[in-house]
Order: sequence, then C-alpha cells, then structure tokens
Amino acid sequence: MEMALHSSSQQSTAGEYSQGSPSHKPPRGQSIKFGELVILGYNGHLPNGDKGRRKSKFILAKKIAGNGVKPYRKHIVKNPQSSKAVQDTHQHSVSYTLSRNQAVIVEYKQDPNTDMYQIGRSSEVPIDYVVMDTIPGNQRTANDSITQSTISRFACRILLERDPPYTARIFAAGFDSGRNIFLGEKAVKWYSGEEIDGLTTNGVFIMQPQGGFNPTGKPGVWREVSVGGAIYPLRESRSAPLKSNQILDEDNILHDGTVIDLCGATLLWRSALGLITSPSEHEFQTLVEEINAGRPQCPVGLMTLVLPSKGTLELSDKQPYVYLSCGHVHGQHQWGQKENDSRTCPLCIKDGPFVKLKMGCELSVYVDSEPPTHCFNPCGHIASEATVRYWSLVPVPHGCQGFQAVCPFCATPLHADPGYVKLIFQDHTDD
Amino acid sequence: MGTNNKRLKKELMEMQSDPPENCSAGLVGDDIYHWQASIFGPEGTPYAGGIFFLDMKFPTDYPFKAPTIRFTTKIYHPNINSNGSICVDILRSQWSPAITVNKVLLSLSSLMADPNPRDPLVPEIAKLYEHDLAKYNKNAKEWTEKFAR
Repeated sequence: MEMALHSSSQQSTAGEYSQGSPSHKPPRGQSIKFGELVILGYNGHLPNGDKGRRKSKFILAKKIAGNGVKPYRKHIVKNPQSSKAVQDTHQHSVSYTLSRNQAVIVEYKQDPNTDMYQIGRSSEVPIDYVVMDTIPGNQRTANDSITQSTISRFACRILLERDPPYTARIFAAGFDSGRNIFLGEKAVKWYSGEEIDGLTTNGVFIMQPQGGFNPTGKPGVWREVSVGGAIYPLRESRSAPLKSNQILDEDNILHDGTVIDLCGATLLWRSALGLITSPSEHEFQTLVEEINAGRPQCPVGLMTLVLPSKGTLELSDKQPYVYLSCGHVHGQHQWGQKENDSRTCPLCIKDGPFVKLKMGCELSVYVDSEPPTHCFNPCGHIASEATVRYWSLVPVPHGCQGFQAVCPFCATPLHADPGYVKLIFQDHTDD
Repeated sequence: MGTNNKRLKKELMEMQSDPPENCSAGLVGDDIYHWQASIFGPEGTPYAGGIFFLDMKFPTDYPFKAPTIRFTTKIYHPNINSNGSICVDILRSQWSPAITVNKVLLSLSSLMADPNPRDPLVPEIAKLYEHDLAKYNKNAKEWTEKFAR
C-alpha cells in the first residue's frame, strides 16, 4: 500500500510516470477508453468477485500523462546486476544475458506519446492487471487455489498511442519493480550486432481474427510476440529453446478481437470502437425479454420457463434446461435418465446430456447484437448464433502444444462438432 | 402433490379453455387421475355423426408413464378391440412425457380416420379393411349408428 501511495505521489509531482495501482483507475470524466481486455472463462466476474487489480475484465483508458517507454540505446556489460541502468530504479532497461560474463542491456527512455499497461501474475506495483491461471468451469470447485502457475509474474506489456487511432501494441515481458526485464541465460534470445531480441519462457501468443471480430470473421493463426514486439511462428512446443524466422509482414498491433494467450490465461482485446457491435446491457436485456415474452413452456411440466437475464440465478422450476443432442428446451425433470449422464429427449427420443442453461453475460465476447438463441456444448452458456459459431472455431492454447475451442464464458472445452446447439423453445403462443 | 398433479391440472384447464377440434375431456368425479373424453367421428369416415366416449386413467407418475385409455363406446376399427382397448404406439412403446391429453385425442381422432391394418388388434377387421373396404365401411357405419348415436 505504501508503495502504491508513493508511486501515486511521484506521478502527480513528476507528472511523467504512472505505474501500478493508481493507474488502473482512470481519472473520472475525462479519460478516453482505449478498449478492454477480457479474460476468457469468467462471464462477467471472477469466481470470488472482482477485487482491485484482479478482475475478469480490464478497462484500458488514457492516463493523465503518458507513461510509455521506448528503447533508445544499448551496450554490452559483463555483469548486468551491477550496471547503472539496471540499478537505477527510474531507468527502464532490458537485460539479455548472453553468457555468464556477457550481457546486452537495452536502455529505455520515457515516451510521453504512449501509455503503458502491464499484465502478469505478480501483485507487485508495476503490474496494472493481475491475472491468475484460469480453471475451466467444468473443473472448478468451491475453494480452488492455484498451486502451480504457468503465467509469468511479469508476462506482457501493452503500449497504446495516446492520440487517435490509439494504436495498441503488445510486447512479451513486463518491467519489474526495479523497472528491469531480465532474460536469463536459458531464455531464447539472439544478438546479431544490430538486433537484440528474445522470447520469454512460456511465451506470449497472439491470434488476429481474419476479416475482423464479426459474424463473418474467422480465427487466424497463432503467433508468438517477442520482447521487442516482433512476430514469430510458434515454437515446436511452448517453451522450446528454438525460434524460427521472424514473420516480417505481421506486427504486434492489437486489433479488435485479437486474442492474447499468456500460458494459463487467455485474454480478448476489444477496442473501444469495436465494442459498438456487441450489445449493450440494455440491448441485451431487451433481447432476453423478447424470448421470455414468447412464454416458452416445458413440454413435460407445462410450466412457463424464464431465461435468467443475469448470471446463473436459481429460478427453481422456471429454470430452463436443454437436451444437448437436439436443443429442445425443457424444465427440470427426471424422465429418460440413463445410467450415464445421458437422457432421452421426450420430444424427439434422442439420447444426450441434459444441462442447465446459463446466460452468457460477458457481452464483450459477442460478435454481434443478435438474440441469444444458441448455447455451447457441454456447458450450456447461451449467446447469439454468430458468437457461438465464432468461438467454436477459435483454437485456444492449452498445455504445452495443444489447442482446443472453449466456451468464452467458462473456459470449458467444447464437446462434439460443432460445439454448440440451436435452442428449440416450445412457445406457448405456438401451441 | 407433485409436478404430475400440477401438470394434470394444467392440462385440464387447457382442455376446458382451449379444447382441440372435435374433442373434449373432463374429470369423471373429483379424482384428477380419472378422466372421461369424447371424440366426434371425423367427417368423411364411417364414424362421422357418432360420438365416441373414452375412459382415461392416469398413473400417479404421469406424465412419466402413459395413461390407460379405452373406448367405452363400441367401435368397429382394426386397432380397437371389443373391450375398447387401443393399439397405438404412442400409448405404449413410443410414449413420452411431452405427449399431452390434447395430443393423444388428436392422434386417436386421426387413427379413426386412418386405421393401421399392419399392426391390428382385431385381425378380421384389418383383413376386411385391406381387402374389402366397402364392406368395412358398411360395418363400421352400422356400428356407429347402433352404438355411437
């Protein structure tokens, strides 16, 4: 707390630097929102609630003064720990250890034209947004605690231009409390006299949607971004010590819908402009109310079902459930139960799982503002058709070299092909 | 008082306020599990002009089990025997809790219009229906005149 206060006073007196806890609360009324970072799998809030720098969604807004930094000179030293740039806690620097007695230090200088936001597992002051490993919804228990994390303490940093079009760029690794980044002897790095750059242990991956984050967009290819912001193909496995050739015609600019993977948590970048296409809270309520106005009925209990408009509220016998093999929406009942989790749908006699429907409340992951008519398989999170289709196609990294499509609301891996189902309501009015 | 009971009450209300065409249903006494229903013989069939009564008994775990339904009015039909028992798959193997009284009565009405001689309960009537439709029509009409007026 003392540190936070200190850095806050420093910011107001010096006016050139803001980092850590004060910066994540933009000044009231006058801040321009650059965009949002949504952690996939939380549906609007963390399991134990959003607190301080730990939230399910982060707003990136213009800071009072630019706190960005840019590289400006480099030199070779024998021992980085004793070099002036590293010891000076006001000076940002990146140290690339080449061998036991040789390191390249890149000194960074203030860049008043950019704002810097840092993301990582550390709760130290330089981290604006603290992220922890995401446990998929289907594996969550009442009191989860992460015993082992794969997310770096200082995982990445994002620099945003303070003037339109507010271009955002992502870089691997973040500066620590001493304003240093160290790439140890074992990290992947390369030095060719002119160029010095490296990759972090578990890497920072980005995926740019092809054709934009919209109903016609398609997920692109995952790439790795370096400490210097260059783009590389993925390594053979997540922390493999070899890199391939830089992809020169791609860059580290975040576009609306870019997905960022920090090895343990996956984040979606939505630009302020792009968010216009997702429904507002009010629009979404209206869409849900329209479905409820049809007074959908359980074909067995004949009671009216109500889609919860907020989260997973218990609605007792009004709670809708779905047969995932056909999409028929029912209330809770026990008919057709098999030994396994499978049930027979009373309407079409198909066997399959029977799950509770839950609203997809994190509206920033919606690719359009159409009615929520589909749900993910197997978790039962409801969203618009284009939204479920889009996310069913997005391979999200998991483990060392695996990819799987997940529900953006709970991070549960999707089942079957296509991983979602169209909901079939028995409308009272059609009876 | 389970869901079953609630569902039967809902079905009863629905049946009174919005009955299907040519059908009606209601309680026999004050037992929610015992109903009586009637179907008007469909036009263009030998049953036209007749009114056919049915007895419906619901198990306590209705709708998870099918109701027991029989015609109390004698009817000349390949799928309905002299006891009034009905051979129709939705009341047996194809029962599902999504089937309501409304749907049962509608499908019995269409069974009257469109018998299923391949799965007969009364083989002689089925044979006649397949090989001598005129005779079948004549017999069915006679029974309708005699028992369903």
